[in-house]
Amino acid sequence: MKKINIIISTVLIIFSGFYAFLTTNLPTRNLPNTLGITFMPWVLVICLLGLSILLLFNTIFRGTKEEYNYHISLKEGSGILSLTAIVFLYVKAMNVFGYLLITPIFVAILMLICGSRKWKEIVIISIVGSFGVYFFFQKIFQVLLPDGAIF
Amino acid sequence: MNGQVFAALVDVVQIQNIFASIFGVIFGLFIGSTPGLTISLGMVLLLPLTFKLPAVTAICLLLGLYASGMTGGSISAILLNIPGTPSASATAIDGYEMAKKGRAGQALGIAVVSSFFGGIFGLTCLVLVAPIIAKVALKFGAPELFALVLLGLTLICSFGQRSVIKGLISGVFGLIVMTVGLDPMMGTPRFTFGVVDLQAGISFLPAMIGLFAIPQILVGIAGNVPIIAEYKSKITGVLPKIKDIAKLTKTMIVGSLVGTGIGAIPGAGGPIAVFLSYDYARKISKNSSKFGKGEPEGVAAPESANNAVAGGALIPMLTLGIPGDPITAILLGALMIQGLIPGPLLFQQTPQFVYSVFWAFLVANIMNLCITLSTIKLWVRVLKVPERILLPIIATFCVVGTYALKNTFFDTGIMFCFGLVGYFMKKYGFPIVPMLLAIILGPNLEEHLRMSLIISQGDPTIFITHPISLIFIIISIFSFISPFITPAMKTKLKNICKIGIGN
Repeated sequence: MKKINIIISTVLIIFSGFYAFLTTNLPTRNLPNTLGITFMPWVLVICLLGLSILLLFNTIFRGTKEEYNYHISLKEGSGILSLTAIVFLYVKAMNVFGYLLITPIFVAILMLICGSRKWKEIVIISIVGSFGVYFFFQKIFQVLLPDGAIF
Repeated sequence: MNGQVFAALVDVVQIQNIFASIFGVIFGLFIGSTPGLTISLGMVLLLPLTFKLPAVTAICLLLGLYASGMTGGSISAILLNIPGTPSASATAIDGYEMAKKGRAGQALGIAVVSSFFGGIFGLTCLVLVAPIIAKVALKFGAPELFALVLLGLTLICSFGQRSVIKGLISGVFGLIVMTVGLDPMMGTPRFTFGVVDLQAGISFLPAMIGLFAIPQILVGIAGNVPIIAEYKSKITGVLPKIKDIAKLTKTMIVGSLVGTGIGAIPGAGGPIAVFLSYDYARKISKNSSKFGKGEPEGVAAPESANNAVAGGALIPMLTLGIPGDPITAILLGALMIQGLIPGPLLFQQTPQFVYSVFWAFLVANIMNLCITLSTIKLWVRVLKVPERILLPIIATFCVVGTYALKNTFFDTGIMFCFGLVGYFMKKYGFPIVPMLLAIILGPNLEEHLRMSLIISQGDPTIFITHPISLIFIIISIFSFISPFITPAMKTKLKNICKIGIGN
């Protein structure tokens, strides 16, 4: 955990610098007796920088008792990437084909990734689940879901 | 006042509100009894459904979930030794031992009745204390309100966290997120990078859904979900006898007192309350030696405490706008979506709604008692629903729920980004609750800070010349430095003792 804490605090120090750079580029518009729009961001830059340095020094000089499994396994990494890709494609496809057509496919793919291997279960859950969510949102709570561009 | 109390009751007992409460209770029992799903997750999943609902119906739905989720957590804790929610951890100690001895039905019955007792106790405290605090808080000006929000944030960031520095970094990160969008005083865009959707700022709802739900889905996909054993024995004797309940009254009172008190402290939360109440109950019990071996008092104390936490946590949330735990933070968000701003003004401007919250909480507890006792055998079956079925449905809910906010997928992207951030934060020991709270309270913090400095014409001593604000700031500083000085003080005291003994 010591190594990862040092990496995290270094990343946070760099991020503080980046945030400070963005803050310096904010437009200045001062009214009499008021604080500018950069006031709060500067306070936060100081806080984040201070805390990151504190985390770094604390980890180096006092050590850490925290124990976490910080390694990202191949399965975990591929899981994160696949979910990101699937959600991205789902959102894009929903814009074109609409909720009802694309959601059962999305649910089925996620079930496969989660380890479901029974085809009957996948088909039933993906259809019933998708229509269940549709029914809740669109029919009971009157929240409109995308119809898609081609329909 | 009486007229408003009665009008609030009439409002709550409307058929659609009763249905909302029943639905909330059933959904809460489902979420609570399913290991791995938390009440916070249940809340954020239901939140998008509340947009179109009237405020009272929405609060009936969410309070139903809150009350029953806590009870539902005890089902898997008792039957499988797997707490459905973190607040049911202490219930598993004696509950599971009772189940092993074939007394699962009795343990479940005690858990449900104790939960009801705790819920009603917490509600009574809420009704008695909240109006008094709100009355005092009405006198707060901008410096006091700034100091109060700061206090809430520092308490959440430091109290109960493994690493105070990481808790504070999480909080500061949440505040950084809230600087995106139009500046609250002058309306000048900040950190929007020319993106029009960012001008309104980052909405807390996608952030909430992302932080709570996506890490859960990612853990499931990464295959880190434990395989849950099946409970095969028959469950009988769920309905407890009055004689048995009477014996547990003292324990339930102790549990409820601890639960309400701890719940009212921002950041403390249910898990601390249940273990404290378990410990106190063991100390005052005649059967203290039986604790851990299947003692009914060991179930009654934590179960009354975890439901009393709800009433306690609602006190600072409703009166000061400072949530006591992640669940009340989400409830706060739900009220803000409805255009209601929790805090002292809520009591002054919409007293009828406040009474509706009280009534809705009472109805939720009654519904919870009736529904749970009559359907407990059904919830045992819920334990068998595998995550490979639940997670894809949850993912769909998240995408659709964030889309429903503004009928745009921009928020879905925000939700997913926060989900990834939340996943890595959890993995590397950064608590997500301070970040969530900072996202919700951030705008208030900045507004009150800048307003105070405008009033004082830039003089920062305004925060220490106002006595209430000074007290809040001192407590904030203490809560920040206490985790650093307490271990050092303990070591020093030990050394002094050693020297004393040596002499």
